[in-house]
Amino acid sequence: DSHRKKVSGDYEALDDRLKTLPDQLSYDIMVPFGPLAFMPGKLVHTNEVTVLLGDNWFTKCSAKQAQKIVDHRMKCESLFDLTSVVCSFASLTSTILLFPKKDVNISCLFQNFILFFFSLFRLSDNGDMNGEDTSSSSSEEEKEADATTPVNGLSLKPGWSSLPSSTAPLRQDRKEEEDFEEEEEEANCLPTIYFSHTVEPKKVRINTGKNTTLKFSERKEQKEHSKRKKKNGHNNGHAHHELHKITTPADIYRLFVDVKNGEPIPRKSILKSRSRENSVCSDTSESSAADFEERRMMGRSFSHDEATHSDTSDGITEEDSPTAVLLQPPSRFEAFSGTVIEKDPMPSAVPHLTISPPALPTILERKQEEVAPDVAPPQQAPKRVSKFKAARLQQK
Amino acid sequence: MAEAIQKKLKAEVEKYAQMQKEVSKSMSARQKLETQLTENNIVKEELDLLDSSNTVYKLIGPVLVKQDLDEAKATVAKRLEYINGEIQRYETLLKDMEKKSEQHREVLSSLQQEFQKAQGLAVGKV
Repeated sequence: DSHRKKVSGDYEALDDRLKTLPDQLSYDIMVPFGPLAFMPGKLVHTNEVTVLLGDNWFTKCSAKQAQKIVDHRMKCESLFDLTSVVCSFASLTSTILLFPKKDVNISCLFQNFILFFFSLFRLSDNGDMNGEDTSSSSSEEEKEADATTPVNGLSLKPGWSSLPSSTAPLRQDRKEEEDFEEEEEEANCLPTIYFSHTVEPKKVRINTGKNTTLKFSERKEQKEHSKRKKKNGHNNGHAHHELHKITTPADIYRLFVDVKNGEPIPRKSILKSRSRENSVCSDTSESSAADFEERRMMGRSFSHDEATHSDTSDGITEEDSPTAVLLQPPSRFEAFSGTVIEKDPMPSAVPHLTISPPALPTILERKQEEVAPDVAPPQQAPKRVSKFKAARLQQK
Repeated sequence: MAEAIQKKLKAEVEKYAQMQKEVSKSMSARQKLETQLTENNIVKEELDLLDSSNTVYKLIGPVLVKQDLDEAKATVAKRLEYINGEIQRYETLLKDMEKKSEQHREVLSSLQQEFQKAQGLAVGKV
């Protein structure tokens, strides 16, 4: 019932506007121009009104005829829920030609008006009240009857100026919609890697075939964090620097650098760690072959966890670019485990852990300690084993 | 015995739910048509208010296309007829569905009774 009252109120306001509109030949107004600007202009042909009859039918008529239609509508109003909106605007071409103060491209202006108009139309599909408000405001927009503003009578100027604010959000909504759609379209593109060299590395996305996006730089950041922990801030500035300079896969390799004797020695394989070799060697004396087996299983389970925990791993496996390969330890791990088991089951596990920190935090720390060349391996060995087993027990 | 009846009951309940869904679908479609009907009626009346001096436009996508007033009236009349026909079709459809769902309901209730009897027997046996 309140809805109906609102509707009838709007129609009454519309009626008043139609009465007063032809009083002047033309009005000086500020025309909304996009969502953020106005332009001085004139409202002309004030007697010509284009009226929406419903079901996408329009008719151009005089203000008086429009009034007749409005009256008829008010009578019929009780019959329908979705009120047909009276949308009217003066003839566009004439108004456009009379913008005295700026040289505006006529076609683009025309487009603008059409866009306004039809964006409002879309809203009117959603809700009658909304539609009515907005379309009648669009009609203001187009310099016609105003059903929403409380200002009635001859003072039209305030009416015009208050209008644009209501239309502005509409445009913005549409724009946001468009932006959003653009974003989605972007996600459907071919796999691409964007490296951002900006302050916000999180903008970097890798779009894969299945529309899963991998926040490349986020992972890199995680790695960097873990690495920093390992190396006690050795490469901090260095890594940061590197992070921003990544242009080739080689750059990534540069990041995985062991610091031995104060000199950075590049690794041949990122998935292996030199220091680990040493530590593991010392380990072999203690542990049996069975232990190695177990560790391999652990590593496998890690990779499994990785696959389940991190959604990015899915994205990685499909990525074709070489950089992604480096980030692809989970799938690599399987291939590795066959050869590595004799020497080094651990190193292959390390990258997993660095990448999926939430999985097993205790072990992660331990591994990080191990990889740090500064830490003396033999001291680590006994602790490592126990923690490893503990983690395994946890997993069970 | 009771289990078999229970299964039957479940199956029947599912079927009934399906029927209800379809019924509601056709109901909503019909409502849509009703609104369109009223709208087109209003358009027709308003077109009658006009004379040939006013140009009539039709909105096709983003374009307003000029139309002849008589053509527009004819088009609207045709559309009205079409909508009326659709409404009648949906009416008959709804009636049929109602009948079917009634039948289903009866079947369901009888099954339920059987089930209760069977359960009563089972309890008695135990």
